[in-house]
Amino acid sequence: MSFKNVDAFVQARRPIWEALASELVGDRPLAKRPAAVISRVARLYREVCTDRMRAERLGLNPSALHYVDALVSRAHAALYDARPEPLSNWRSFMVREFPRALRKNGALFGIACFLFFVPFALTLSQTLFNPEAAARILPIETLEQMAEAYSQEPSGRTGGESATMAGFYVYNNVGIAFRCFATGILFGLGTAFFLVYNGAITGAITGHVIQTGGGINILTFIAGHAPLELTAIVISGAAGLEMGRALLVTEGRTRLGSLWHQRHGILAQVVGAALMLLAAAFVEGFWSPSSAPARLKWGVGIGLMTLVVLYLGFAGRRKAR
Amino acid sequence: MRRNPPEPSGNAPLRIYGAAVIYGAALDTTLVLETPEHVTFRYQLAGPGQRFAAYLVDFGIRGLILGMAVFLVALAGGSFFADLWGLELGILLLLFFVVEWGYFLFFESLSRGASPGKRALRLRVIRQDGLPVSFGDSLLRNLLRAADLLPTFYVVGVITMCLDDKFRRLGDLVARTIVVFEPRATGLGPSTKRERAATAPRPPGTALPLPARPMLSRRERAALALFHRRAPELSVARARELAEIWAPTLRARFDVPDADALALLETLHERTVDS
Repeated sequence: MSFKNVDAFVQARRPIWEALASELVGDRPLAKRPAAVISRVARLYREVCTDRMRAERLGLNPSALHYVDALVSRAHAALYDARPEPLSNWRSFMVREFPRALRKNGALFGIACFLFFVPFALTLSQTLFNPEAAARILPIETLEQMAEAYSQEPSGRTGGESATMAGFYVYNNVGIAFRCFATGILFGLGTAFFLVYNGAITGAITGHVIQTGGGINILTFIAGHAPLELTAIVISGAAGLEMGRALLVTEGRTRLGSLWHQRHGILAQVVGAALMLLAAAFVEGFWSPSSAPARLKWGVGIGLMTLVVLYLGFAGRRKAR
Repeated sequence: MRRNPPEPSGNAPLRIYGAAVIYGAALDTTLVLETPEHVTFRYQLAGPGQRFAAYLVDFGIRGLILGMAVFLVALAGGSFFADLWGLELGILLLLFFVVEWGYFLFFESLSRGASPGKRALRLRVIRQDGLPVSFGDSLLRNLLRAADLLPTFYVVGVITMCLDDKFRRLGDLVARTIVVFEPRATGLGPSTKRERAATAPRPPGTALPLPARPMLSRRERAALALFHRRAPELSVARARELAEIWAPTLRARFDVPDADALALLETLHERTVDS
């Protein structure tokens, strides 16, 4: 086929382009449409690919070229669109992938623990033995509020209050975990900062509350959710640190290529941490403030801790058959 | 130390229409990708301005969703301030979380990389290899938002975008995604013969004393044709400015010293095409 000029070309081929464009309207994956449509799109796509080459030779104007370009790339995307990573594989994710990814990242998980719990211990001991220390770390109002909140044994909230607090914990804690992870892109520095910062704040509050006499109350309160919550925050930190390490230790790849190579494990840890925090938020909202006896709460806390350790340490060790 | 094979980086040479292959540096925002079977894609990369506009639209929509939710909760609570304490408030906080972290993820993975704001501006997130983003890609690029928006107002993201030749923010770099602009069907010209007849320009310069079959090389004819098709998309002043670059040479060659630049090019084009 040869065309006398560009106008004749556009006039002759435009119906083909418009036919392809009309097949590509909407977001429905091509794979879910009738076979006749798929082969029609494939045929039109080949035609438009050829037109794209002719168009450049004939000297089509840039804006019209852009239109054909966009058409070609949309058709290519629709035809080659494979949807890997289906969401249906949650079971395998929970049973194997997440704990495996974390164990593989064990060294950085240790460092993340260190970065969180050392500042935690430092501010805890400071505020525990020195009543004035807490005021240097946190605003007085916050401290008074905290001391007030734990001055009495938890006596159970109304269902509504529990729901509110659960919602707040999801919003706040999962947000903290995501930020802690994401800032790891700054060569791990952001993650390190958030781990140290959150560790220090948590330690200061705990120490201050214990120092002002609410010790048993706060420890009973956090016994239930702390194993899930603190572990999950540290895991998100471990994922952030892994992102930082991938940028630094590239093993011959480009920095971004190295990060790309590690992305599955890193994402698995973040998603796993988020799910743990989701569970923790409901424990913290509904169980921790309940009027259940302290001994039961301690028992549940120890039970959950054991479960978390067993799960993260052993789930998915055996190869799937 | 064990060295891994080089990564397929997706950094295809950047090319410009009708020009030589240029590696590394782009003079415009056209990204060219070539598949092994020699299908070439050209994408118009979306710049920070377009993306900011799309972000504003999304920001408004998110605000609207949350505002309506707050309003409904306030209605359910009976008054605006007093009884906002209970289950509905818990759900509201959950919604805040979902909208803050899940809005882009939800729309990008459901409607092929286009959140409502991006759709409004004809933008779309795609993978660097041209395929639609998957759930995992979208999750990664949107989690990294938390780093891009540091220290405030996306300063890190904007700086990264300006340093990168494909306008990628940190999230895009990590997830290997780009944001592209998909233009509407423009510049194809009128579609029917009647429309063409109606809109065809009749330049006043048809009376120019030019040969009926001007001698022009193939490349010159192509340039005239390209200009002819492009001129209607430009303002008259800009079209004349472009025409004036070539006009002096042509005036001298065809001995029409006073010819208007636009009329000259248009007439030459007509006489080469119709002959």
